[in-house]
Formats: sequence, C-alpha cells, structure tokens
Amino acid sequence: MPESLIVLKNLSKRFGKKKAVNRISMSIRTGEIFGFLGANGAGKTTTIRMLCGLTKPTAGIGTICGLNVWKDRFRIRSRFGYVPQKFSLYSDLTVGENLRFFAGAYRVPSQKIKARTQKVLCDLDLERRESERAGRLSGGYKQLLAIACALIHEPILLFMDEPTAGLDPTHRQAIWDLIYELSQAGTTIFVTTHYMDEAERCTDVGFVDGGQLLANGSPRDLKEGLKGHLLEVQVEPAMTAMFEFRKLPGIFGADLRSGNLRIQAEDPDALLHSWQVHWPFPGLKFLGFNWVEPDMEDVFQAYSRGYFKPDGDHPAPVKLAYKV
Amino acid sequence: MISWTAIEAIAYKEFVHVWRDRRVMLLIVVLPPFFTFLFGHAFENSTIRDVPAMYFDADHSPQSQEFLALLKAKDIFDWKPWNGDPIGKIDLFTAGVDAAIVMPAGWGQGLQDGDPKPIRAVLDGSDTNTAPSVQGALQETLGDYQSKKRDELIENLPDEIIDLGKQLPVPIRHEFSSMMTPWDVKVETLYNPKLSFIDYVMPGIVGLILQLITVTLIASTITREREVGTLSQLLVTPLRQSEIVIGKVLPYLVISMFLIASTILVGNLHFGVKFQQPLLLSITCFLFLLFSLGLGLLISSFSRTQTQAIQISIFFLLPVMLLSGAFAPLGQLPRPVRICSELFPLTHFCRAFRNVNLHHSHISSIAGDLAFLAVGAIFTCAGASYLLRIIDD
Repeated sequence: MPESLIVLKNLSKRFGKKKAVNRISMSIRTGEIFGFLGANGAGKTTTIRMLCGLTKPTAGIGTICGLNVWKDRFRIRSRFGYVPQKFSLYSDLTVGENLRFFAGAYRVPSQKIKARTQKVLCDLDLERRESERAGRLSGGYKQLLAIACALIHEPILLFMDEPTAGLDPTHRQAIWDLIYELSQAGTTIFVTTHYMDEAERCTDVGFVDGGQLLANGSPRDLKEGLKGHLLEVQVEPAMTAMFEFRKLPGIFGADLRSGNLRIQAEDPDALLHSWQVHWPFPGLKFLGFNWVEPDMEDVFQAYSRGYFKPDGDHPAPVKLAYKV
Repeated sequence: MISWTAIEAIAYKEFVHVWRDRRVMLLIVVLPPFFTFLFGHAFENSTIRDVPAMYFDADHSPQSQEFLALLKAKDIFDWKPWNGDPIGKIDLFTAGVDAAIVMPAGWGQGLQDGDPKPIRAVLDGSDTNTAPSVQGALQETLGDYQSKKRDELIENLPDEIIDLGKQLPVPIRHEFSSMMTPWDVKVETLYNPKLSFIDYVMPGIVGLILQLITVTLIASTITREREVGTLSQLLVTPLRQSEIVIGKVLPYLVISMFLIASTILVGNLHFGVKFQQPLLLSITCFLFLLFSLGLGLLISSFSRTQTQAIQISIFFLLPVMLLSGAFAPLGQLPRPVRICSELFPLTHFCRAFRNVNLHHSHISSIAGDLAFLAVGAIFTCAGASYLLRIIDD
C-alpha cells in the first residue's frame, strides 16, 4: 500500500466564532485522485488554503510529505500546484507570458523554461492560443491555462478547487481526462467538487459538511453502506407524493429520479411493509417499488441529511469520521 | 537566497501591466513634462504684478501728476478707471480693484509749504500677499520721488545759500550732507543672484509630480492582485516576499527615473534652470523615488481594495503637498508642524536638491537627507514585504 502523502490531524480553522473547518482528520495516499466533496461553504476551500499554506490553521496539524503545511510552507511550495476556485491569472498577459511568469516564479531553471512551457501548452491543447491575452480566453480555456500554470514546475501533487465549476460538458470531460493522465503519470490529485458524478471518478472521497468530515473512503465502499437500503417507489402523481413523503417522520429524503421516488428512510423495510398493509395516502396511487443501487448523489444526500449517525444501528459508513 | 530569475519574472510582468495599459501609459508619459511646463509658468515669477487698481487726483498739481507718472511706470498696477467716492468710503470689491489711491487736494502745495499730507491708499487685505506688496511699491515710489525732489532742490540752490552754508562748522556740514544723501545697503546676493523663483521652485515641482505619480501608480499593484486573486497564486509559489517587493519596485523605479529625467529636461530646456553635480542629483532622485515607491507599496500591501489604496494615497499626499516645503521655505512653518514635515520624503528631496543645485553643496551637507531617504526606502520596502505575509482575514 502506498504511503500517505497528505496527513491531516484535527486540522481546524475558525474565523472569529465561526468554525470554518472543525477538526478534520484524514490521510491521502500518493497517486490518489482524492475528491473533496461538500456543499458551498462546507469548508472545502478553507481546507485547501490551509494545505497550501495560504492561511494558518488555528488548531491541529497538516503535513505534506511529512512537512508541516504552515511551518514548512516555504519548503513544500515547489512540490505542489494550486488551481484556485476563481480565475486568478493575469488577464493582460498572454497565455505564453503567464506560463513563463509562473515558470520563473516556481524557479524553473531558465534553460528549461522554454521546453516546459512548450510541453504544458501541448498537453493542455493551448498551443494555438499561446499569444492570446488570458483575459480573452473562454471559460474552459481559462481553466486549462490555470491548470497549465500550476503544472509548469512538474509538481507531485495538484490541488484543484472546483476546477469544473461553470464549465460545459466538453470542457469538464477534457479536464477529467487531464486529471486521469496526470494521475497515470504519478501525480496525486486533490480536487474539490460538488458535482456528484465527478465524485464517482475519484479513487477516494471525503465528505465535508459544516466544517466537519462526515465520511472518507472510496466511492464503492461509501455506496456499499447504502446498498439494500435505498427504496424507489412508483407513485402517481409523483410530485405531490414527494412533498407528502418528506413530511413523514422517519423519512430523511425523497427525491424524484426518472419519474420514480427515491426514498431514504430510517427503516425502509418497515416502511414498505406498513405501506403494503395500509396505504395512508388516499389521493396517491401506489404502483410498485424496487430496491436500487445507490450512486454518489444518494450517498452525499444521505450524509448531508444526517442519515448516517455515529451511534445508530444504521448502515455503518466505511471509516466513519463523524465527530472524531 | 534571492533568485534573480524570479525577480526578473515579476519585474517583466509588472512592466507589461503598465505597458499594456495604454491610457495609464499615455498619462505617465505626457503628464510629468506637461505639468512641469504648467507649474513652471505658474510659479515662474514670485513678484506680484498687474494688481487691478484705480486712482483719483483731487490735487491736479504738477507734483501729484509727477508722482502718478512715476507710479504708472511700475508694472505692479493694472490701472482701471476711477469708480467711487474719493472722499467717503471706497468699496474696492464693487469697483473691481484691489487698491485705490487718492491724491488729496493741496498735496503738492503741502510739499512746498513744509506740511506734507499723506496720500490716501485703500488696499484689499483678503489676500495677504497683495496688500503688503502694494504698500511697499507705494512707499518705494514715494521715496524715489522724494529723493528726486531733494536732488532738484540742491541742484537749484542759489549760490548765496551755498555760501551761507559754508559758514557752518565742518562737522555739522558733514552731518547735514550725510542726511541729504540717501543711505544705502550694498546687497550681494548669493546662490540665486538673479533671484529667479523658478530656480528655487523647480525641485518642488519635479518632486511633487513624481511623488504623486509614484505613490498612486504603485499603490494599486498589490491590492489589485489581492482583489483579482492572483496574490494567492503568487504566494503558493516559492517566491519570497522580498522577491515580490523587489520585482515590483524595479520596473517602477526605472519608469520613474525616466519621468524625473523628462521633467528635469523641461526645466532645463524651457525654463533655463541649470542643474549642478548631475551624479549627486541623480543619487538624490534615485533615493527619493525608491522611498516614494516603498511608501506606495506599503500602502498597497496594507489596503484591502484598490479604492482603499487610492484613498489612503490621497490622504497621505495632501499634507505632503502643503507641508514639504516644495513651494515655500519650511522656516515659515511653526516648529511642531516642521517636525511632522520632516517625515515626508519630498521635504528631504527638496532640501537636498536645493542644497546641491543652488548652494553647490558637497555631499557631506546633504548626507543627512540622503540617509533619511535611504532608511525610509529600506523601512517601507521591508514593511511592505512583511505585510504581504499577512494574507488572510
């Protein structure tokens, strides 16, 4: 098993009274594509900024390659690249100038700058845009350039904060293909997203909500925890049923999926049984049911709705990290 | 270990920012020489002239006409037709003049009768410079007229009176003739013998323009990166804060050295101001610009937004303009204010520049000012680089 590249131990950050990140502990192995999932404001960006040494943790420690992310930040910086959430390159510089600037900033030896620039331009399909101003690129190319700048010094680790937010499916795919290529070449990827289909593409994910890490594991293991517990019913009219179900005690969530209602309940077996005995909604028509395979969307919803509790007898999530 | 490749990368990028911003580029190339031209003409001459004035001759004697002719020969007045009551209250404001002069009836006769009457002058004191100058000009003209009359009197004395005078004892005669001769001061003006104000004020103009441009130009650089988010990008690279600061200051230093040279060129070619000891002046300019840029950068790293940076710059520049002695000697300021003005780089720049250029001073006499500028430059740059470290919250 490969060793841990990033280790977090009770890493915390508070802004005044607000706990932006609350005692997160986890480790990320070399070569992983680690997906850091959570809603907006869950603490993803703050965690990344702490790991990049941009903001000082208020408690706990984080290490990359065994070096402290705050105290040794000047020593680790040449080893990773960081693609921030917001486009933050120099709009008035051309694509090539941005790349050469970051090459200089990352202390790439001057005789190597040309070759490196050429390589990332080629790898990221930016060759034809080398002399275009960065500010005039479309959103997708801007993002590719941001990644290119973060890769100019051949880092072993790449932090990407919502790299696909707001991009069209083609560019999203292009960026994920790139992530796979990098991973294949041995680069560890730490990526945040709130697209659940992207979570499926990671080798490992962490769920963060309200600054706390709720779960940490591979997508397969996390889905395993919900297996056999996810009920889908066919009811008409579906929309009315969704709102009715959500009011019921013992139901955490009811969502429309392709015309059916997917239900996360405390005890789905008992619920189904009671409905088969007595259907409590005279205005709704029960047409059938089946048990479905959970996807990451379900897992995410289950965690954020508090479906998994640390002490309950509900399906135990893998490596549950709730309230460490 | 400071990496020159890294500094070069930043300096090049900063230069491109300015270069590609055509509007700013145009402004900084055109404005400094233009302002030097404009301010130079504004302050070319410190003497007051063309004061709107009017006179009324109630006397109509040959004497009063003679005196008025002398007064008219001076270019301090711009004569307007009389408007008002020569005996009662004179309203200068309604008459649209700053001075009114009335030659009282019987003035000429009074001079002959040994009973000289005062000339009536009404002056506008709202502008504190004009009234004393006008009064001085009147006194001076009157003095000239008096000496002229005295000379005429002596010239035309009949011989018997001269003979009568010769009977007086010698010491009394000597004392008397001394009394009849105007006493004089022999003035030897050093450093600016032609008393041309432009020679005095040129360092003030040059310094003020450059102070304004350097501070406002560099003050937005770090805050812009903070606002756009590129500062985070810079700070995750292995760049050191000192490299960022040096890399940012360098291109602006080169640009502002060119700008200061352009203003000095205008001063020399257009206003004929001579510049002495070019090496010493260059060192003074260099240190002054470095300190100013350091100050701008300090403001920049301290501010959260570009608007804030510009506001802070303006609040800083306002006292500098008024208290640094750019246009008037610092000696006129009260002591506590002078202490405050000693903190501004422009104060030291103006003093050192004048010492070199007007007093032909040696480096030793401006060493204190140069040292202050150098220490200020180091202190502000170090402060800016320290403040870069504080990056969140």
